[in-house]
Amino acid sequence: MAIRKLWVRRGNASATQVAVSPDDLVDDVRDAVIRKYLNSIGRTFDAPDVSLRICPREQTNKAGNERTLAPDEPIVRLIDAYYPGGQKVEEALIIDVPQRRTPKPSPRSGPHLQSYYIAEEIRPGDADDYFPPMPALQSPHANAHGTLPTSHSANSHLHSMAVLTTGQLPPLPSPGGRSNRHRPKAGRQTTSSPTILHSAQISNNHLDHKQPLNGTIPPPTPPLPTPPAQNSDSRNSTTPPTRVASPPPNPRQRSGRRKGPTNSMDRNGATRHHSNMGHVLPTAPASVGLLDTSVPPINVLIVEDNVINLKLLEAFMKRLKVRWKTAMNGKEAVAVWRTGGFHLVLMDIQLPVMNGLEATKEIRRLEALNKIGVLSGSLPDGLLESCLNGDGVDGDLADEEMKSEDRLQDRKAMFKSPVIIVALTASSLQSDRHEALAAGCNDFLTKPVNFVWMERKVTEWGCMQALIDFDGWRKWKGLAAQEEANKTSKKGESKADQRAALKAIFSQPPKTRKEREKEKERELKERENAQVGGPVGGPVGASTGGRPKSPTNVRRPTGKTNIIEVNGNGYDGKNDSSTSGTAVMPEKR
Amino acid sequence: MAEENHDESLEFGDNVDMSTFEQILDMDDDEDDKEFSKGIVFGFLEQAEQTFDKMEASLASKDLQELSALGHFLKGSSATLGFVKVKDQCERIQHFGAKKDETGTGNIQDEEYCLRMISEALAEAKKTFNEVAAQMRQYYAES
Repeated sequence: MAIRKLWVRRGNASATQVAVSPDDLVDDVRDAVIRKYLNSIGRTFDAPDVSLRICPREQTNKAGNERTLAPDEPIVRLIDAYYPGGQKVEEALIIDVPQRRTPKPSPRSGPHLQSYYIAEEIRPGDADDYFPPMPALQSPHANAHGTLPTSHSANSHLHSMAVLTTGQLPPLPSPGGRSNRHRPKAGRQTTSSPTILHSAQISNNHLDHKQPLNGTIPPPTPPLPTPPAQNSDSRNSTTPPTRVASPPPNPRQRSGRRKGPTNSMDRNGATRHHSNMGHVLPTAPASVGLLDTSVPPINVLIVEDNVINLKLLEAFMKRLKVRWKTAMNGKEAVAVWRTGGFHLVLMDIQLPVMNGLEATKEIRRLEALNKIGVLSGSLPDGLLESCLNGDGVDGDLADEEMKSEDRLQDRKAMFKSPVIIVALTASSLQSDRHEALAAGCNDFLTKPVNFVWMERKVTEWGCMQALIDFDGWRKWKGLAAQEEANKTSKKGESKADQRAALKAIFSQPPKTRKEREKEKERELKERENAQVGGPVGGPVGASTGGRPKSPTNVRRPTGKTNIIEVNGNGYDGKNDSSTSGTAVMPEKR
Repeated sequence: MAEENHDESLEFGDNVDMSTFEQILDMDDDEDDKEFSKGIVFGFLEQAEQTFDKMEASLASKDLQELSALGHFLKGSSATLGFVKVKDQCERIQHFGAKKDETGTGNIQDEEYCLRMISEALAEAKKTFNEVAAQMRQYYAES
């Protein structure tokens, strides 16, 4: 006898046939089952996981109860024995698959309306029940019509509808179903950006964590400034916000023609600070508007030679409510970048005078020479200066290459980290992209620029930069907070005073452990104040990168041995490393 | 100022890539006066005409390099606005000006051939530009 067909089914689902050869074993049937149920069982289980149950015919006194078949039983003979005269559909072998220990809804469940449910009545070993390998999908619709099998019985025969409701994978969300597909609009006010919320969360946690340490002093960073609430209302309405400051137009660029409604696209009234952007504290409306935008208050340099494109990009930056400056060729771009304070450069590649790649290389060269980002955070002031002056550890290099015209002014305040350069290229050639990346660009966008992408890039890179430039970020974010912090933290206590106080403490003889802990609290608190309210030029460790090291850096200038005792590993206070670590680290993020 | 035939006038045929052009329209705060996009579009029309003039001049002086630069320049803004047909011709001008073939990869030695091709492309660019310019003027109800 040649191939025979064998009925199998899953639980109450409709039966199906698999082919078996006369000398096949149950094990072979399992293989066939896996192939047959490729999408449901086969996706999750291997053949050996599957077990087959056979239900004897009613009133057959022969075999007694249903049982699970052993893998080595010859299937054809078995079927013949159980079902003389041939197996009927109703007598299909029942496929069992192991129960998942923790059936989980698909992680993609996201915003879909369907809820995944796991049948309550499913229990392992409950012979009558069939447990689907995947969480069953229950659409409310199906439920309402009662098509979902509610009573499971081995003999109840359900048709293909049951398959739909049991064995099916959850539907994939359509790839286009992203929620943020909207284009930015002036009137649009999304809820506060996740990023902002997130970082707010962080700093709140951070404060909560530290509060006990602060003793009687109130937390230096109060909750987020409240003004945005009312402000966002006015933004949601169609009334355009009053133009706080007209953007000083680039001499070359006509900003004419646009007035009236266009004003609502104005960025947050931050005046353009030509010489010290990013350093100067924003005017109040800026910090207010900031919280209801989704893009961090970064400073963007747009390099584009075509006025039409430039205009458009500018309008887009307005819409994103970020600050920007423009340059129309590479040389100009470098010059403008050198004024400092930029987080992001949108760099057209093909430019007159100096092309985008050359400009990028030049910026990177200057960054490297001025050690932007690389070591700036982990070196104390003195060492840093000495590096720059050419007599530090890297003295040779600095001496040779650092010409005065290459030195960036005000580098510590204005160049917190290497600028992100996003190349704008009209070409979609892979080689051009590689060239751009090789020149030092971080990313690229193909022209014509898709605004959705543009917004994403600005948001992503902007968030990153905002976090790196945490103090700048905070300044924007926490003007109100800062004021309050300054008020509460001993009024008028200057950096120097604080340092002197620290020095005084550290020059005292070693303390008892309790005293040391107290000091620690006080110190942490002071450092925190410095971070919140202090000017950029404060302690290096507190204002720039390299925070893990900052505790030592902060104190290095005092030069006392017991500093090490307090901070270093020599001190066995239980909170020592962990406290200073946690107190500082979250800010880094 | 507002268009009566708003919907029909949005049909620019294959002269305009609508998804690109629409994102310019989206920048308008006011659906009716379209001040911003109008400024951009008319700025482009002006820019294109000037560039075409420069191209003619460069063509006369057989300045391939300048032609390539001008082609690239106008390609940028026409692409931004989604004026794809204009953009395509500008790209050809850019490539031939750089003594490359249409794809921008192969080299061409024959300068006269390049100039001839640029001349063709420029004529085509102007033609398609005039079409799109007329459509735009109509769209913005200003002629």
